[in-house]
Amino acid sequence: MPAVEEIQEFLPNLDCGRCGLTCAEFAGFLLTRELAPEDCPVLHEPDYAGFIEALHELLGQPTVQAAAGMQIDLEKCIGCGICVAMCEFHLGNCADARLGKGPRPQDKVIFHIVNGGAVVVHQERCTRLLQAAEKCSKCAEYCPTKAIVLF
Amino acid sequence: MEARIESAICPGCACLCDDIDITVVDDRIYQAANICLWGASKFLAHKRFHPKKERRRLQQPRIKQGCLWQTVPYEAALKRTAEILTRASRPVIYGLTNSGSWAQEAALDLARSTRARLEPADLAFKAPYYRSLMKHGLFWASLDVIRDEADTVVFWGANPLHSCPRHVVRYSVFARGKFTERGLEERRLAAVDVYRTELAEFVKLFIRLEPGQEPALVQGLLAALTGGKPPAIRGLRRLAALLEEASYGVIFFGRGVSYGPAQELLDGLGELTARLNRGSPFIFFPLTADFNSTGLYHLLLRELGSPLAPDFGHDLAGTGQAEPVAWSEVDAVVVVGADLFWFLSQEEIDRLKKRQVPVVALSPFANRTTGHAEVVIPVALAGVETPEIAYRMDGLPLFLPKIVSTHLWSDSRVLRELTALL
Repeated sequence: MPAVEEIQEFLPNLDCGRCGLTCAEFAGFLLTRELAPEDCPVLHEPDYAGFIEALHELLGQPTVQAAAGMQIDLEKCIGCGICVAMCEFHLGNCADARLGKGPRPQDKVIFHIVNGGAVVVHQERCTRLLQAAEKCSKCAEYCPTKAIVLF
Repeated sequence: MEARIESAICPGCACLCDDIDITVVDDRIYQAANICLWGASKFLAHKRFHPKKERRRLQQPRIKQGCLWQTVPYEAALKRTAEILTRASRPVIYGLTNSGSWAQEAALDLARSTRARLEPADLAFKAPYYRSLMKHGLFWASLDVIRDEADTVVFWGANPLHSCPRHVVRYSVFARGKFTERGLEERRLAAVDVYRTELAEFVKLFIRLEPGQEPALVQGLLAALTGGKPPAIRGLRRLAALLEEASYGVIFFGRGVSYGPAQELLDGLGELTARLNRGSPFIFFPLTADFNSTGLYHLLLRELGSPLAPDFGHDLAGTGQAEPVAWSEVDAVVVVGADLFWFLSQEEIDRLKKRQVPVVALSPFANRTTGHAEVVIPVALAGVETPEIAYRMDGLPLFLPKIVSTHLWSDSRVLRELTALL
């Protein structure tokens, strides 16, 4: 499964809002297959020829829907970072998140707080996806605004 | 051209988070990582609780000519302000809690030279606290020590998720410190409020009171701790037990305490903290929201020896005023780093308008006050477009460097030039 950052390399990164989302959010929806590369109006412009095909190649065939995933409602999220501090993956892999600080860009994390909202950057690292969907739900459990929905 | 700034300091709230990674593209902030919505309101000019909506920046000074706005250069706006202040016999400089320390120093000089009253925006919240502190002489610790050591945390009339959203993660609840290695599991948490807040999601003991019941709860807690008979308030005994068992405790109180009889309540809480301090370290900590409110009180203490509002025209003793200003006496207002008309009641606003009290507003963003002001002077964002110094809520001074450039003047420059004009 590609990372959101890899997908973003093939998006315009203009945050023009014509699809109703920022490019980072659009990339997240591409990853969960709720949107397709064709849904970005800017990618149909001649300057971005070949990007849609490259995204299809990167995303691969939509064979298996993720067994478990998460969705973040950015209208509710206040960017407090409780999900970053409570995530079990971060506990073992990110010293800054353990201490309550924000992770650095090079850190191995699942969430990042970007522009005041939580963004999933590497969903493939989530414990729920890998092994124990029923065991970890700390990000949603402690979210004070109930912005994270697990499925 | 793209540039990355790592570990920048956020002037969004008094936490002054120092782990912000910013991407600047062509002298414009394109992305800011690790900021909450309050930080986004400064770095990206988003509305605080409406992330997709922009806050409107003011671009040029303007003055009111009759019923019409006229765009003018800075010099003309300053001249008009100087005329207003010269004519006034009871001017007030209001706000300053969202300004950097250099601007606060310039405002204090301006207040001195115009014999004005300097009114901090959160005086109703901080003045009773400082009086209680002076009465009881309490223990103090920095936020880092609180993160490392505090095993009992009480939020009283405070909702950190609204006033400083990352506070709970960085210092008080979820952060894992030296002696609080398991974070949330290591701490015993309680909250007291008049309505259910988001804290109830993770706080074990949430006491919901009726408005006006807080002093009775404080007295009840004191009675329970000294072996007396406390009144029947739900959760009182559990809270008393939680406080008594603490090995290192902290009571964070927020603006909620200032909506009732603040002095009585804060005196009671100060007494309670002093009583708890006999057994173990206990801290009584104001949860300030505005990013440099602490800096203003440090300045007042350093320059005048009193943390209360200085009144250079009327208070000859120089001890400062604890009571909020009587707006019926005021005949000119300069608002810096605050939104006065947001805090005043509609009757007070109507009375100010009826008396045609001239209002001068220095603000980076359009707000209610700029909508009513006679002179509007846009200023650069402190800590983003102009370098500044700010004090974290525990009194740690930090230098905030400039990140992007602007054509706007800083508020310290506006205030200094205004003082020079007078």
